[in-house]
Amino acid sequence: MPSDPGQSPALLGAKCSACGTVVFPKMPVCPSCGRNGTMQDVEIGRRGRLFSHTIARFAPKGFAAPFFQAFIDLDEGPRIFSLIGAECAVENGVLEDGMEMRIVVEPLADTPENKDVLSYKYVPAKGKNGHA
Amino acid sequence: MREVAIIGVGAHATGQFIEKLLKDIAYPAIWNALEDAGVQPTDINVAYVGNSLGGLLTGQEGVRGQVLLQHSGITGIPIINVENACASAATALRGAWLEVASGAADVALAVGAEKMFVGDSARSIAALSAVSELDLSQMGMQFTTSYAIHPKINLKARMEEYGWTIEDFAKPAVKNSANGALNPLAQHRRALTIEQVVQSRVVVDPITLYMCSSISDGAAAAVVCSLDAAKKFTSKKPIRIATCTLRSGVYRLPNDERLDSAETTAQAAYEEAGIGPDELEAIELHDAMAPAELMLYERLGLCDPGDGPKLIDDGVTTLSGRVPVNPSGGLCSRGHPVGATGLLQIAELVWQMRGEAGERQIEKRPRVTMAQNQGGLLLGQDSAVYCCTILKS
Repeated sequence: MPSDPGQSPALLGAKCSACGTVVFPKMPVCPSCGRNGTMQDVEIGRRGRLFSHTIARFAPKGFAAPFFQAFIDLDEGPRIFSLIGAECAVENGVLEDGMEMRIVVEPLADTPENKDVLSYKYVPAKGKNGHA
Repeated sequence: MREVAIIGVGAHATGQFIEKLLKDIAYPAIWNALEDAGVQPTDINVAYVGNSLGGLLTGQEGVRGQVLLQHSGITGIPIINVENACASAATALRGAWLEVASGAADVALAVGAEKMFVGDSARSIAALSAVSELDLSQMGMQFTTSYAIHPKINLKARMEEYGWTIEDFAKPAVKNSANGALNPLAQHRRALTIEQVVQSRVVVDPITLYMCSSISDGAAAAVVCSLDAAKKFTSKKPIRIATCTLRSGVYRLPNDERLDSAETTAQAAYEEAGIGPDELEAIELHDAMAPAELMLYERLGLCDPGDGPKLIDDGVTTLSGRVPVNPSGGLCSRGHPVGATGLLQIAELVWQMRGEAGERQIEKRPRVTMAQNQGGLLLGQDSAVYCCTILKS
């Protein structure tokens, strides 16, 4: 979430002060070097790259098909599962693995169960809104 | 550690049994195993009962093992409930094996049972999603997605990297459905063609409906005892458990180049059993999505990366091949009642090793076999549970 007005939203991850590993969601023990007590909160995930994506033609309860599902490589290191923002038409060819992505915050899904649940999602960095 | 043998197995058919309760499905599997082993309930010293979704789907959140076994006339003994997602039953077998191996018990029972049909498939699917870490399932992640684009499997990337085609993905489903068509216990007994699999509805691109295991009810059980005591109960050939190797997922960072945990678990199992992949004569493996079988060939050391489709093309893993894989029909055809699957795999291998597998019997009875079972998904890019069991006759 933004820490200052006007700043774009971010994810709250954790960075190991000993080995530099960054994780999301945050964890108290570093999964890389195994140290306890070295993980410090850090804002991450404003930008990343699309690692992989697919179109789900079937939706679990609370979601509406078709919808994109993706893994994003955040600039700070973590690779996270994410949905794709509603500005992207759910069609083949709209997304390309490796493309730059930016974070958005919007309802998790346009369904009665999830329309009031806000979530992070990602959209192409050079999206409709024009800013890269 | 004492040598441990499986002396009896039993199963309930997989499929939709809407009128039956979980304990009704477990009961015939348990008693088929007891009768097969020649043991009475009073001979059993300890039982491990695997089930994954019964809490959410039936409402019986606690003591499911005690409930199931009391219904089948087994009471008083230590009963341990095992929840380990789709590998619950393999984990139950491991508990029974170690009880006997350690000398703590002489005869132990392992049960796996699952009741997924509850009249509302959305509930069944939601329960299945709940065996993955909530951070993933609450975001809409499905098992199908994980096979399609998950970093460690990423079938879409394999299409580019290896040149695999959608037809290649269909090959395990075609092979296994031919086996399942011969299995009276199987849920789906129709031999499929490549065209039928490819042209079935897309679930998550590139995975189609007939590449997916489906909602299923079913159960299986095994009785184990020390190898020395086996002949006291049965004249049948005891099937030795060479190892039942259990591992959990590892938190993997994107730049982690260590081996996948399916691979490390298999390697550990080979080492513990003192055998290599070349010695296996039959395998039951976890093809929750059919194309996963192609990846698992690599992980289990059966072929070089990318050569999975060739193993099927060359007939190596068909019922008449050098190392038949999923003679039961596998998860997609035989069925995947999640908490029962690991022991359904074991029951199939025991039948094959004894020459009791009917129409789907492997012509040359396999003497060394492996069951590979896994389940759940963690945030750290691994499955939650991996189990490899190696059997020797």
